[in-house]
Amino acid sequence: MMPAAAMAMAFTVNGTVRTLEVATHHTLLDVLRDMLDLTGTKECCAEGECGACTLLVDGRSVNSCLMLAVEADGSEITTVEGLASNGELGPLQQAFLDKGAAQCGFCIPGQLMSAQALLARNPHPTVEEVHDGLVGNLCRCAGYQQITEAVLAAAESVNR
Amino acid sequence: MSADGAGVSARRVGGHERVTGQQEYLADIRQPHALHVKLVALDVARARIRSIDTTAAEQVPGVSLVMTAADLPQPVPRFGPQFQDRPILAVGETKYHGEPVAAVAAETKDAAEAAARLVVVEHEVLPAVFSVAEALDSESPLVQEPGMRPDDPLAGTNTLREHRFGWGDVDTESADLVVDNSYTFPIVTHFAIEPHGFMAAPDGDGIVIWSAIQHPYLLQKMMAKLLGMPLASVRVLAPDPGGAFGGKQNAKLEPLLAFMALHTGRPVRLILTLEETFQAVRRSSAEITVRTGFVEDGTLAFQDIEANFLIGAYVDIADRVVGKSSYLGCGPYRTPAARILARAILSHTTPSTAFRGFGIPQLTWAREANLDEGAYVLGIDRLELRLRNLVGEGEAFIPDDTPADGDWAQSVRKAAELIKWDSPVPPGRGRGLAIGLKSGPTAALSYSTVRLLADGSGVVYSGTSDMGQGARTIFAQIVAEELGLPLDRISVVMGDTAVVPYDQQTSASRSSVIMGTAVLRACREIQAQLSEMASRLHGIETSQIVVEDGVVRLPDGEVSIVEVLQQGLGPLGGELVGNGEMRKEGDPDHPLGGSAAFFEFNCAATEVEVDQETGETLLHRYVTVSDVGRAMNPIQVVGQDEGAAIMGLGHTLMEHIILDESGRIQNLGAIDYRIPTSNDLPLELISASVENGDGPGPYGIKGIAEGALLATAPAVAGAVREATGAFIRDLPLTPERVWQALQERP
Amino acid sequence: MNSFSYVRPTTVDETVALLDEYGTDAKLLAGGTDLLVNLRSHRMLPRLIIDVKRVAELTTGIEEADGALRISATASMTDVIGDERVRRYYPALVEAAAVVGSIQIRNRATLAGNVCNASPAADTVPALLVYASEVTVIGRSGTRHVLLDDFLVGPGETVLERGEIVTAINLPIPSRPAGATFGRVTRRRGVDLATISLCCMVDSDGTTTFAYGAVAPRPFLVRDHSGLLADRGADERARAATLREMIGHASPITDVRASAEYRQAMLDVMSRRALDGAIDRLAAA
Repeated sequence: MMPAAAMAMAFTVNGTVRTLEVATHHTLLDVLRDMLDLTGTKECCAEGECGACTLLVDGRSVNSCLMLAVEADGSEITTVEGLASNGELGPLQQAFLDKGAAQCGFCIPGQLMSAQALLARNPHPTVEEVHDGLVGNLCRCAGYQQITEAVLAAAESVNR
Repeated sequence: MSADGAGVSARRVGGHERVTGQQEYLADIRQPHALHVKLVALDVARARIRSIDTTAAEQVPGVSLVMTAADLPQPVPRFGPQFQDRPILAVGETKYHGEPVAAVAAETKDAAEAAARLVVVEHEVLPAVFSVAEALDSESPLVQEPGMRPDDPLAGTNTLREHRFGWGDVDTESADLVVDNSYTFPIVTHFAIEPHGFMAAPDGDGIVIWSAIQHPYLLQKMMAKLLGMPLASVRVLAPDPGGAFGGKQNAKLEPLLAFMALHTGRPVRLILTLEETFQAVRRSSAEITVRTGFVEDGTLAFQDIEANFLIGAYVDIADRVVGKSSYLGCGPYRTPAARILARAILSHTTPSTAFRGFGIPQLTWAREANLDEGAYVLGIDRLELRLRNLVGEGEAFIPDDTPADGDWAQSVRKAAELIKWDSPVPPGRGRGLAIGLKSGPTAALSYSTVRLLADGSGVVYSGTSDMGQGARTIFAQIVAEELGLPLDRISVVMGDTAVVPYDQQTSASRSSVIMGTAVLRACREIQAQLSEMASRLHGIETSQIVVEDGVVRLPDGEVSIVEVLQQGLGPLGGELVGNGEMRKEGDPDHPLGGSAAFFEFNCAATEVEVDQETGETLLHRYVTVSDVGRAMNPIQVVGQDEGAAIMGLGHTLMEHIILDESGRIQNLGAIDYRIPTSNDLPLELISASVENGDGPGPYGIKGIAEGALLATAPAVAGAVREATGAFIRDLPLTPERVWQALQERP
Repeated sequence: MNSFSYVRPTTVDETVALLDEYGTDAKLLAGGTDLLVNLRSHRMLPRLIIDVKRVAELTTGIEEADGALRISATASMTDVIGDERVRRYYPALVEAAAVVGSIQIRNRATLAGNVCNASPAADTVPALLVYASEVTVIGRSGTRHVLLDDFLVGPGETVLERGEIVTAINLPIPSRPAGATFGRVTRRRGVDLATISLCCMVDSDGTTTFAYGAVAPRPFLVRDHSGLLADRGADERARAATLREMIGHASPITDVRASAEYRQAMLDVMSRRALDGAIDRLAAA
């Protein structure tokens, strides 16, 4: 390909293939929020420290503020909007509700995506493993204990 | 007792939206024709603005407006909740690192950013003050033009105000021991995960303003005055904040956006970066000297406190923080004589504003650490010393003022029990325990409207801001309790001044009590109307009818509310509307303008281990106990109390904004301003509530959510001291600071 | 962020040609966790971003060949940490890579990128140094192999010439037992940059090697061939003197994270702990 400041790309977002023309300097976060109206993923520090922008790229949790949109060309993206299916909440979402894990809620999409990735690679995490797995997701309401309880409860409910 | 009513850990209203990504925060609101705004600020603290050249910026394609102070009405309007001191854009000079000098509005974010970088501000750095010592030095430059306070004897100084409180005579009160120390509390910033964001759009002859503001009606009032519009023409839409903690109480950039919207005739949208947010809000730092006089049995003889709070370049609500908190500086103790002098001192720094705790964490740090020192010297157990001096329920601790509104010793004993205070301390560890006290609102006004719709579902309107503390849920639960409705049949409408009746503000942990009472009263009006209906339908006197628990009780049986409603409404249908008002008048004779509606009392205790080679502190166990009156929603109370405790651990162990010699913030951003993560939790974090139903709110509620932040620092420092012998008087207790103190140990 | 052109070459030759053409006006994009931060802050203003994640020669993953483990340039920290051979041969590298940011960062950040970014505080570099890592570089004039210790010059500076790209980091497969530990001091237990970082290796022949990070313009290696440090039974004062001499090569500074004084003191504390740990690991090996 030739160097270009705009590019056509195609990627799968929450199961649906999307094709877009994007500016190459726009991040994946920018494009999801501003072009696809998927505002569930949040912007906070914009430098990979807070985790508010966490989503899954090909199953791995990443900070979408640190990815150019074009880097996601050909990838499968899962955002918080993709956790429920047919209006049914996923086990993590349900557990977060049951355990009161969401206070102001701003960090929660990121926490959910990190938790989703954690349980996918480690279905029976210990408390320490949950803390480690979610250490890149800051919560200023500091609902960490309830978030951890929710992740453990979701793990249990899935494995029952 | 309703299934979702008082005391139930009902599912959070708005929880579903938060776990699905559907919750609309300000930055998520679609405003397709909005111009994007980018601020221009200097990378210096104080500078004289020589000239601003906007030519290059204006030529960037897509730029609609590059606004400077010259484009605003002259003299440039000023605003602020206490003093109208803050100009909409910097006038003549910038007074703090990050003060906006200009603002660009453009069709795209990229264009706005590019243009902002092209604005050339010729400036000259000026000498400035960034510390208490510098600010108080008579040779130092003044932050505020003296002409702004014409009749104020302090006008030629950087001391904005001196607050003096006290009783008895500290100088003649005899004491067997006087402990005299100085303590410091750092500059910290709110760091809500949602950066600040604002929008404004012309609306006919009026204006619509979007802001995740905690006080929508105060903003409405301020904007109406600034713009010369009737209140009815100013609409404030206030989405739930993604965290606020006081940093979103008062206007910051809404006035600027409003003028930009009116100037361009278009909606305008500004989302701050996290760095800009750090530059916009912070907590007052403080240097506090405490002289505590003790009798040899540990009882207090006097407390003599001098607190210098370093506030920012504009007052915002910081002076109120200083006054309101220092009034309670002596804490909930029997203090025969007291002298408190607290200064709000201006500096060329970010305007400090309200922040969870409202000045109490700073004072509590100093006072409680000093009590510990007294206990050590006297050889009295630190828990025992506190219990000896703690006032009992109904006992005044400030003469002629609201007495203790709870059995506070109960919270202290509970905390002591949970930390196992009486058991031997494991080798290498230490324990600390401290008490915090804060007053709720001193004057308050809230209205609420509740509608009971024809199918028995309900709508409650409340002007409170739900920033995570769960206000929506509380109000829905009150309606659930009073009208017997399940929570999923109750809608809560908030955040729109055009639709929701007046609420003064969301602060001081007031909303469950004050707005809660308004909601309760609105429900009572509906109950009265239902009683009337039942009376009409059944031919019984209303005095013989009771409406409670979702039913209408008649002498010969009970009928569901819904049934009475539907029969009563008849074929035309309709609804019942109830209005409630809760008003607590101020008291002009009271030093704070009013007595406290309630108190937040908290006891914090912790057991720590210190790595004495590196200074790293490990919290084995942390306990927080709050006197809550009644836990309206226990799971929410736990979330708030644990959250407050962890936030307190932030300023205790790791948070401080670092300024360089020229007042620039060095650790601007998330990489070098560290807040607690999931790996920074105490190994065990235990929160408990004492519920005696003795609060003034519905069902005996008291306000909560600030209490557990108040005494974190002295509890931890006290534990570090027991573990190491090092008496540290400056926060945060970073590993380096603790290590330094250990080196200096005799 | 300023706009730029973006290109996604598929061969090393293409990549080298672009780098040659654009010089410092181009930046390589692998994991992006450092680059995007620099782009956003305008610390870097490239005209061209070259995304190397589809370059065939750079996406060979982690392979064992010719007595070395070859970690290709696009291998992420997560890939490195999870590789069974890395875990077996280079446990200290696993420890170091595991503290690079959060898992979100590690899923993207590459080992090669951490090296090429050349931060004095790069977490993986002390471990890579101690394991005698080598960097494979390809450019116009062909391929060269550079010892990591020679590859790093100073803060943000490596020996890469115009038109050159790192294709792999190679770690010799250990021929004899050794014990190695990684340690660091941070401001909080959560994700953080290192105040100081270090790696210590004790060889079965009594050689002790230390590599230090965040206490000099670049991470550096020091070795004790006397056998004193490796021997817990040796004279304590002699050991302390040797250690002091090793640490003496550090020049810690005061910055927003810590003071020079504290860093200096922590060098001593952490070196002793790392040494102890390395000796224990050697014994267990």
